[in-house]
Amino acid sequence: MDKDLVKEKKSYFQRIKAEKVLYLMLLPTLLYFVLFRVLPIANMRLAFFQFRSRGSWPFVGLKYFEMIFSSPGFKQILFNTLIISFMKYVLLFPAFVMFALMLNEVRSFRFRKYVQVISYLPHFLSWVVIAGIWISALSLSGGVNQIMAFFGIDAVDFMTDRNKIRWILMLCEAWRSMGWDSIIFYTAIIAISPSLYEAAEIDGASRIQIIKHIILPALVIPMITMFILNLGFFLNAGFDQVFNFSNHAVESTIDILDTYIYRIGIEGGQYSLATAVSLIKGVVGVLLVWSTHVFSKRLTGSGVW
Amino acid sequence: MRKTKRISLSQMVLVLFLFFITLTMLVPLLNILAKSFSSPLESPKMGGLTIFPKGFDLINYTIVFNHPILVPALINSLIITLVGTIVNIILTTTAAYVLTREHLTLKRPIMVFLIIMMLFDPGLVPEYLVVQKLGLMGSKWSVILVTAVNVYYLVIMMRYFEKVPISIVEAATIDGANHIQMLTKIFYPLSKAGVATITMFYAVVRWNEYFRSGIYLTRKSTDTVLQVILRQFVVLGDTVSIIGQQNVFDYNVAARVDYNALKGATIIVAILPILVLYPFVLKFYAKDVFSGGIKE
Repeated sequence: MDKDLVKEKKSYFQRIKAEKVLYLMLLPTLLYFVLFRVLPIANMRLAFFQFRSRGSWPFVGLKYFEMIFSSPGFKQILFNTLIISFMKYVLLFPAFVMFALMLNEVRSFRFRKYVQVISYLPHFLSWVVIAGIWISALSLSGGVNQIMAFFGIDAVDFMTDRNKIRWILMLCEAWRSMGWDSIIFYTAIIAISPSLYEAAEIDGASRIQIIKHIILPALVIPMITMFILNLGFFLNAGFDQVFNFSNHAVESTIDILDTYIYRIGIEGGQYSLATAVSLIKGVVGVLLVWSTHVFSKRLTGSGVW
Repeated sequence: MRKTKRISLSQMVLVLFLFFITLTMLVPLLNILAKSFSSPLESPKMGGLTIFPKGFDLINYTIVFNHPILVPALINSLIITLVGTIVNIILTTTAAYVLTREHLTLKRPIMVFLIIMMLFDPGLVPEYLVVQKLGLMGSKWSVILVTAVNVYYLVIMMRYFEKVPISIVEAATIDGANHIQMLTKIFYPLSKAGVATITMFYAVVRWNEYFRSGIYLTRKSTDTVLQVILRQFVVLGDTVSIIGQQNVFDYNVAARVDYNALKGATIIVAILPILVLYPFVLKFYAKDVFSGGIKE
């Protein structure tokens, strides 16, 4: 095209100048990122300085990092973060695949649609509402204990039980995300060509054989993608859920990095210490995402983005 | 391919199991709804599995909609959701439009910048200090601006805009359309499903937001949003802030109000806008979900 030829001849700066209206349109968005992302990133230097509301911040080196790594509480918090992430992202993982498989096996189209419409809904409820619902359902007079009483099981105060709270977090995560997060698998299943099924039926394959040899292989790539994406969120462990499900009785077993940052930073006013934790979390988080991106590219040919 | 019409045992077990799963989603919600519409004399005696109100009464909703803190919080939530979503949509669609123009010279460096911004989370305190420095504390603009653009949704929007046929864009250019006209007269109408989808997503996130509002909107008790009050009341069990307002109970019902049912009514009010948006989410996103499978 002639237009392209003309473009080639223009210098880099002339081309940018010709596009200036476009960059003007982009300005508010770029300004947003500079104000609310770049400036906070610049503020992360606070991890190496002592905070003062007025005047300059004196440099203290690695003082806050030493404080973090020498505190006994931090090990527990790191452990809690990793174990909760493991339960949500690894242990729970097969449930999402199973849900998509089960949905696909349902023959009635209307029932399938019903299950989808209901099971996607919890994803759109706020964590505050979800916590409200489950605190009530898991209370001593709630629905769960009522069902247990029917089977003659003694009542349990679930939300204040330290041995059960992590499982509750995992199951409530399943309750909220099972429908929505299984969409990626379900779409991969319905994208399978019908001719594959027909060929299998002619060969006399059973339903189990079809699942094993046709459906599961089609899920390998979405499974790897999902798994890798989750790995990138490993240090988050689902802050909003923990923040709303926590109480004094169980805090020590489900206190994670982000709740710790909130407590020492916003409630405790120890800005530098909280920033140091954020910095560790941010750097490790980027490394995790970056390495999984590279890994995913090698394995499946496509990266995370 | 599935010839047999008779319902097999495995099919029945499957349907029953999935039906049970949907019950775990429906029953708790219907139970809360039922209790919130019940008479305060009956609701404390209702179990966790009842889904029908006993002694129909609107008292809980009368309290919620006359409450000196809940009412301003509800209005604040609506304002932030409305203004915030508009800001989200304007910024996201213009950015998506610019970044999908062919031969944009700086496209690559800008995309790299955005992806780095998406990946690296500066954390709570560094952001808090910026909001403080910009003088946004206590202002609704703090929560509105801090989450003005979501890179994931920007990428979704770009995918929709990429599908707009180049021939139409060229024809419009020849007709002398400027970029704003191009965006509003060609890209919006041709990407209706896309704009609707990200509008829903942004609106849901805005309405459900509680964390930043709880940190930035703390100057006055009437500054905050519904989800923050809900958290205080339902999650932290702080009935004092709700009940301490004696002027609510002009009707002398303080003695007989059931706080759990009142919590339920507050939850229902917080869910209602989501339920209104939900059919549209399914309608506009469904096509996309059932073919592309983009995860939020």
